[in-house]
Amino acid sequence: MIKFILNGKEVETVAPATVRLIDLLRDDFQLIGPKEGCGDGECGTCSVLVNQLVQNSCLIPIGAIEGAEIITIDGYCNTEQFQLLSECYSEAGAVQCGYCIPGMIMASEALLSQNPHPTEEEIREGISGNLCRCTGYNMIVDAIDLAAKKGDGLW
Amino acid sequence: MNAKDISISVKKKDHDGKVSGQLAYIGDVKVDLMLYGVLYRSPIAHGKVRSIQLPPLPEGYAKIGAEHIPGANFVKLLHKDQPIFADEWVTYIGEPMFMLVGPEFDILHQLLDEVEVDIEEHPAILTLEEAIRQKDHTGVFASHEFGERSDVIKAIEQHAHQIIEEEYVTGYQEHVYLEPQGMLGIYTDEEILVEGSMQCLYYVKNALISALACKDDEVRVIQSPTGGGFGGKEDFPSLMACHVGIAAKAVQKPVMLLFDRAEDFEVTTKRHPAKFIYRTALDEQGNILCMNVELYLDGGANAGLSPVVLQRSLLNSAGVYKIPHFHAKGYALKTNTVPNGAFRGFGAPQSFAAIESLLGHISGKVNRDPIEYKRNYIVKQGDPTITGGRFKDPVLIDDMIQDLLQTVEYAKKKAEFHAFNQHNKRYKKGIGASFFLHGCGFTGSGERDHIKATVKLARTENDQVLIKISNSDMGQGALTTLSKIVANELGLPYEDVSFPYPDTKEVPDSGPTVASRTTMIVGKLLERAASKMKAGWQSGVSQEAVEHYVHEEMIPWDEEKFSGDAYPAYSWGVNLIELEVDTLTGNVKVEKVYGSFDIGKAIDEQIVKGQIDGGMAQGIAYGFMEKMTSKSGRIEQKSISDYGPPTAMDVVHIESKLYDNPFAGGPYGAKGVGELPLTGGAPAVQAAIEDALQIDFYQIPVTPELIIERLTKRAGGSD
Amino acid sequence: MVTKAIASYRMKSLDETLSQLSKEDCQLIAGGTDLMVQRKSPRGAPGRFDKPVVFIDHLKELKQIYRVNQDIHIGACCTYSEMMEHHLIPNILKKAMKEIAAPAIRNRGTIGGNICNASPAGDTLPLLYIFNAKIRLRSAKGERAAEIRDFIQGPRKVDRLKDELVTEIILPEVPEVQPYFVFEKVANRRADAITKISFAGSMRWDEGRIQDARLAFGAVGPTIVRAADIEQKLVGQAFPLNDKVIDGIVAEFESLLKPIDDHRSTGVYRKTVALNLLRHFLEVRA
Repeated sequence: MIKFILNGKEVETVAPATVRLIDLLRDDFQLIGPKEGCGDGECGTCSVLVNQLVQNSCLIPIGAIEGAEIITIDGYCNTEQFQLLSECYSEAGAVQCGYCIPGMIMASEALLSQNPHPTEEEIREGISGNLCRCTGYNMIVDAIDLAAKKGDGLW
Repeated sequence: MNAKDISISVKKKDHDGKVSGQLAYIGDVKVDLMLYGVLYRSPIAHGKVRSIQLPPLPEGYAKIGAEHIPGANFVKLLHKDQPIFADEWVTYIGEPMFMLVGPEFDILHQLLDEVEVDIEEHPAILTLEEAIRQKDHTGVFASHEFGERSDVIKAIEQHAHQIIEEEYVTGYQEHVYLEPQGMLGIYTDEEILVEGSMQCLYYVKNALISALACKDDEVRVIQSPTGGGFGGKEDFPSLMACHVGIAAKAVQKPVMLLFDRAEDFEVTTKRHPAKFIYRTALDEQGNILCMNVELYLDGGANAGLSPVVLQRSLLNSAGVYKIPHFHAKGYALKTNTVPNGAFRGFGAPQSFAAIESLLGHISGKVNRDPIEYKRNYIVKQGDPTITGGRFKDPVLIDDMIQDLLQTVEYAKKKAEFHAFNQHNKRYKKGIGASFFLHGCGFTGSGERDHIKATVKLARTENDQVLIKISNSDMGQGALTTLSKIVANELGLPYEDVSFPYPDTKEVPDSGPTVASRTTMIVGKLLERAASKMKAGWQSGVSQEAVEHYVHEEMIPWDEEKFSGDAYPAYSWGVNLIELEVDTLTGNVKVEKVYGSFDIGKAIDEQIVKGQIDGGMAQGIAYGFMEKMTSKSGRIEQKSISDYGPPTAMDVVHIESKLYDNPFAGGPYGAKGVGELPLTGGAPAVQAAIEDALQIDFYQIPVTPELIIERLTKRAGGSD
Repeated sequence: MVTKAIASYRMKSLDETLSQLSKEDCQLIAGGTDLMVQRKSPRGAPGRFDKPVVFIDHLKELKQIYRVNQDIHIGACCTYSEMMEHHLIPNILKKAMKEIAAPAIRNRGTIGGNICNASPAGDTLPLLYIFNAKIRLRSAKGERAAEIRDFIQGPRKVDRLKDELVTEIILPEVPEVQPYFVFEKVANRRADAITKISFAGSMRWDEGRIQDARLAFGAVGPTIVRAADIEQKLVGQAFPLNDKVIDGIVAEFESLLKPIDDHRSTGVYRKTVALNLLRHFLEVRA
């Protein structure tokens, strides 16, 4: 039995320990926010926060998350920080096909929570594990920059 | 909607669902009793199937193959050469032979591993070079020849000062849409319903009607939210739809087919690798007297869309230039490799890379600055196209070039870079430009003869308006853009117009979501439908308005002769790139990117900017980063990092500028924008690398491996 | 599920973990960033592990970073992110780690895992070779240390007994003032990229003479390449090095390095770039 905190609630599972966290989240907890884009930790669409740090849920065996606090976009989207990021992503026109966006938002949160006023270079590095094929990234970079400016004190 | 200017951006219709991750893509869908499908794929490039040995299938598992196809065993598109399940001959590694369906995904994979097939191997054509050698005997999907007569060319060449012959090669490009391909087939007593990630609902529907040999109302296709397409979900989804449609009908249960990234890389369509052979005659001053081009596209194992891709390659083989006495010939050839298909630009990016490269090289040979040299040949309004059509609308490109050269202070920058390169041993800076266009909409008479688009608007009693068309939003913003057009025309708030994900049961065939036609062609039809609806507006009463495509006759297109107006309108672009090459590693660091575009009129500036940024990122990466190779008939790159599409750290801010040049045939003057921005990236990056190193390259991508090879040769005195 | 259920352990302490390892042959999982890809199953199914798995990345004993005299001890399960934030980690190593993958991987991948995965393209390895890193191993029976160049035997092959666990990486005698250091990772893009070739070099000189020189190359052979005999030839040479000496050293490596072609690059490219970077390093003036 593996117990952990998922989006603020204590949960448990009897799934085998080498099941990937992404599968557990999507199949057993019916959370569709983390998407699978590659399964190799190379695209970031499955990004979640593990104890506040952004990680690829496709690379995490669930045996390793005992006691950890996992936040996915499905839970994060009820926060004030999310509301602001969502507004800024909209204002900057950062969302196209949308498949990378949940992961991109989680990477944005992780970045801003560690560094509330990042430089452009730091933003690019912060989302460098999150592939986007539609936008060429610049409008996403602008969105995060906007959120950092508007969200003074939120992070 | 009463915005003063339609270009002002609004919140996208699908923003909330996408940003919260709660909008369900096909991979997020689960239905009761759903089975998964996995495909058994040919392990060899060409052969005759002798036998297939299946392991015992557990209860609830089934094999679905050619024997289950009620209709014809091919995917209906252009030619009849792509089997749904290859049961007699296999023609490429990865070709689907049959499908196993069942409830547990991992058990299906285990069963796949236990399948034994016996295939008699036959000689395979594995490279474009080999296909070119064999083309007089076999393997031509399509060919065209047009332009100046050969005897005229020959006569000019005889009196020329010099003849320049160049070969140019372009590689594969993989779409890497973030959402891998996925399709779900659902059986009911009345119909087969297929839903999934796709660009072209009626391509899928027509393929299903042919495969299932059923009536029009016995199949239904719904587009799921689509996580990127770029052409990769234009033709390929029809194959998957046939797989799940046939399987669902056979087992009378829902069947889901979802690719993982490695499978998607290995078996889905890519941009055609191409080869160009140019022969150009020059006079003593270095002026072009005549030009001859032969081009070859690697179509892969079946025709797919290659014949149409070839047309666009050929139509752009002279770039944006008026070349005297131009002659072109092109072939789409068969190889026993993964079929190539649509990819943003549709054959044009290859041709623009080639012609821009060639003119750059010629300018160097005659000691002229490449930009100045190319500008001598830029087409003007009223000039003929290479197929004897006419550039009838204002052509702004030379002004756009002039503006951009001033903005970047081109001459000054060249001098600065030259000085930098003199004293920096390791790093070399360069600047390069590209000039290009995109013919908007289908080539030739496609809209009139094949597509015949119809759009519908429906108004409820509460004055809510629904857009009923078969076009997909795959991220490019069609939901928002088209809603804006309709709202604006009707004078309604943007919120009162909605555009549900299309369902063929509800929407007429407004054509596929391709060819940069959605805003220009479909948007114009919607504008007309809205205007009609407005005329008959009666509050509180439901109402429908339908519009059909009306062809505007120009110089008639003749596909046989390859003559006439190939497109109703053209969008134009100028790119300029500054970069730095590390001569120790061959790595290239793009430092500044500029793009100027004439797309008629932006319906939404931010959406257009998104198309420009994303398209340019793909185009630039096509020129120097993204390398995909096939070895012994197998795609070698199986993961995203092997292939290397750009990350946020590989791109820089793009300075872009739009020029208003409204086109009467587009809504509010809009022309196509989707494909154009990709086209100029590769040639500009190549030109900038050439400028930095003072070395000419004859292929893309210009990889670090290639750069180091050429630098080594130069150091050894053999280059 | 087809996959046979396998046992998994996540012990509270290092001692309990070692005790378990002494009883049965297990697969250790630290961050899992390499293993979970290598052992990936079809979607939804547990990883393809054929023996019991033991999770170790939570063990506090394996997450310490401390200094003993001039030696820096790094717990094997420290993640790259943790090391990048720690004041004891040399800057050059931090710089190299910044080029590893992307934040999500750096938050999960561990230095011990990177070493035990023993990829020729392993990002931290050339620098660890330059530091003459020692690998500290423990088992229920006792403890030993190995030089990293002996410990790593080939791709995915390390000198670890079944009951042993890598507990620490030791960077011995790290001087307060770091010598001239260079680390170059060459890859197809600027983030989330797998190394095509990497080079690390360090050099110390005093009063116009080279005192110490170390050169390491990644992804040019089955393991990181370092050649003590060639390095020795640099010691005592006048600084800056003259062209003849540089040519000689480059020539020695030219015959030593034998990289291969693969789907990421070519042998010729790897070799040329390795030698280019070496020459550039040796040409340092001050």
